[in-house]
Amino acid sequence: MTGRVIVITSGKGGVGKTTTNANIGTALARAGNKVVMIDTDLGLRNLDLLLGLENRIVYTIVDVVEKRCKLKQALVKDKKNPNLCLLAAAQTRDKSAVTEKQLKEICEKLKKDFDFILVDCPAGIEQGFQNAVAGASEAIVVTTPEMSAVRDADRIIGLLEAKEDIKSYKLLINRVRPNLVKSNDMMSVEDVVEILSADLIGIIPEDTGIITSTNKGEPIVNDDKSLAGQAYRNVAQRIMGNEVPFLDLEKETSVVTKVKKFFSHLIGKEK
Amino acid sequence: MSDNIFKELCNRILNLFKQTESKEENAKDVARNRLRVVLMQDRTNLTPDLLQRMRKELVELLSKYVEMDKDALELNFDQEGDQMALMLSIPVIRAKDEAEIEEALAQDDEGKVSEEDAEESEAGEGDNSEGENTEASEGENKSEDEIEISEDNSESNDENTSEENNDTQNDNQQNENIQEEPYQENNNQ
Repeated sequence: MTGRVIVITSGKGGVGKTTTNANIGTALARAGNKVVMIDTDLGLRNLDLLLGLENRIVYTIVDVVEKRCKLKQALVKDKKNPNLCLLAAAQTRDKSAVTEKQLKEICEKLKKDFDFILVDCPAGIEQGFQNAVAGASEAIVVTTPEMSAVRDADRIIGLLEAKEDIKSYKLLINRVRPNLVKSNDMMSVEDVVEILSADLIGIIPEDTGIITSTNKGEPIVNDDKSLAGQAYRNVAQRIMGNEVPFLDLEKETSVVTKVKKFFSHLIGKEK
Repeated sequence: MSDNIFKELCNRILNLFKQTESKEENAKDVARNRLRVVLMQDRTNLTPDLLQRMRKELVELLSKYVEMDKDALELNFDQEGDQMALMLSIPVIRAKDEAEIEEALAQDDEGKVSEEDAEESEAGEGDNSEGENTEASEGENKSEDEIEISEDNSESNDENTSEENNDTQNDNQQNENIQEEPYQENNNQ
C-alpha cells in the first residue's frame, strides 16, 4: 500500500483547517479508507478535541521522534471508526521539537499502512508550515471568502508552488454564506476562485452545527442531515477521484428548500 | 459657444448618474477590487510608491508620442493561469504630428546630454514605438522590459475601466492597450 500524503493548510488561522481535517479524515474513513491524521500544530493541538479523542492520547509525535515509543503505539484509534487514527501533537513543546526530515520519515512509514495521511498544518508560514508540508505530495488550501484569508491563501499557494514535492494543490472554500453572497455583501466562490486561479475541491457552507459538533467532539460528517457534513463528504469523494457536483448552496439554503426538508422530515421521507 | 455649453451640460448630467452608480458599489465588489490591488502588490513586490513611479514614468514616456489623458491611465495586472500580464490602458486624446514628436524627442535628447555628458544614447527617429530606455536611467538600474504597444481602435471597452476615467471619456478617444510580455510569477523564496 502506498498512501497519499495530503497537507491541509491555510496561512491564516481560524479559517477551519482543523475542522476540515477532522471532517475529511472521518469522511474518507467512513468511505472505507484507512486514514491517519497527523496534528503538526505543536504546542497548540486541537485536532484531538474535534475528534473527541483528547482523553485517549498517551504518546505524541514528539515521543515518536524522540524514540520513547514506536510509531504504532502513538496512533490513537477513533472511537467509532477503526479505520481512522490520530497521531497527536505535543501540547507542551514548540515547533522546533520535530524537524522536516523527521516528519518526512514518519509520513513515509505511515504510507505503507494507510490509504490517506492527512497532515494538519499550523497557521503561519514559518517552520511549522515547512515541517507540515515536508512529507506531503498534495495540498488542500483552506480559505474563506474574506479578504485576509484569501490574501494569505495566495501567499501559501505561492509557497506551495515553489515546493517540488507538492504535485498538486486544491482550494477549499469554507464558511460560505449564500445569503450574504446573494445580497452582494460577501465575495462569491467564483470571485475567490478567479482571484486565486486555483482548482476547487470543496465549498462548505457556514453551519452553526459545526459549533455543536466541535463541542461534542463529533465531526459533522457523521450527521447525515447537515449540509456542511454533506459538503465535506463530497470533498472526500472528490479526493478519492469520484466526480461529485458542487452543492448549490443558494438553493439548499433557501427558505422553500428548508420548509420542504422540514416537512419531508416530519413524514419521515428524508432521503 | 452654445455648442460647448451644451456639451458641458451633457457631461455634467452624465457624471451625476455615474457618481450615483459608483456610490452603490457593494461590499462584495469593494472587497474584490481591494484584494486584486493588494495581491498585485504582494505578487510583484511593487509597493504603492513604486507603482506610482512606474505610472509616472510610463506617462512621461508615452506622452512623447501621443497626447493622452494622463489622469485616466489604468494599470492592472491580470492573472491568466500561471502567467501574469501587465495591462495598461490610457485614453488617447489626440495623435501627435511628426513635428511634435520630433520636438519631444529632441527635448528629451538635449536633457539627457546635458545631464550625463558621457552617455550618448541614440534616441529613435520617432517611428519606432518600442520602449525607449530614457526615463528610467536616473541612476537606478532597474531592468526594463521591452514594452510592446498594440493599438486597437476600439473605443474604451475595457472592463477594468472604472469610474476614475468616466468623466474624461471622450467620443473620439482611443484606448491604447499596452501589454508587457507575460512573465512567470516570481514568487517568494
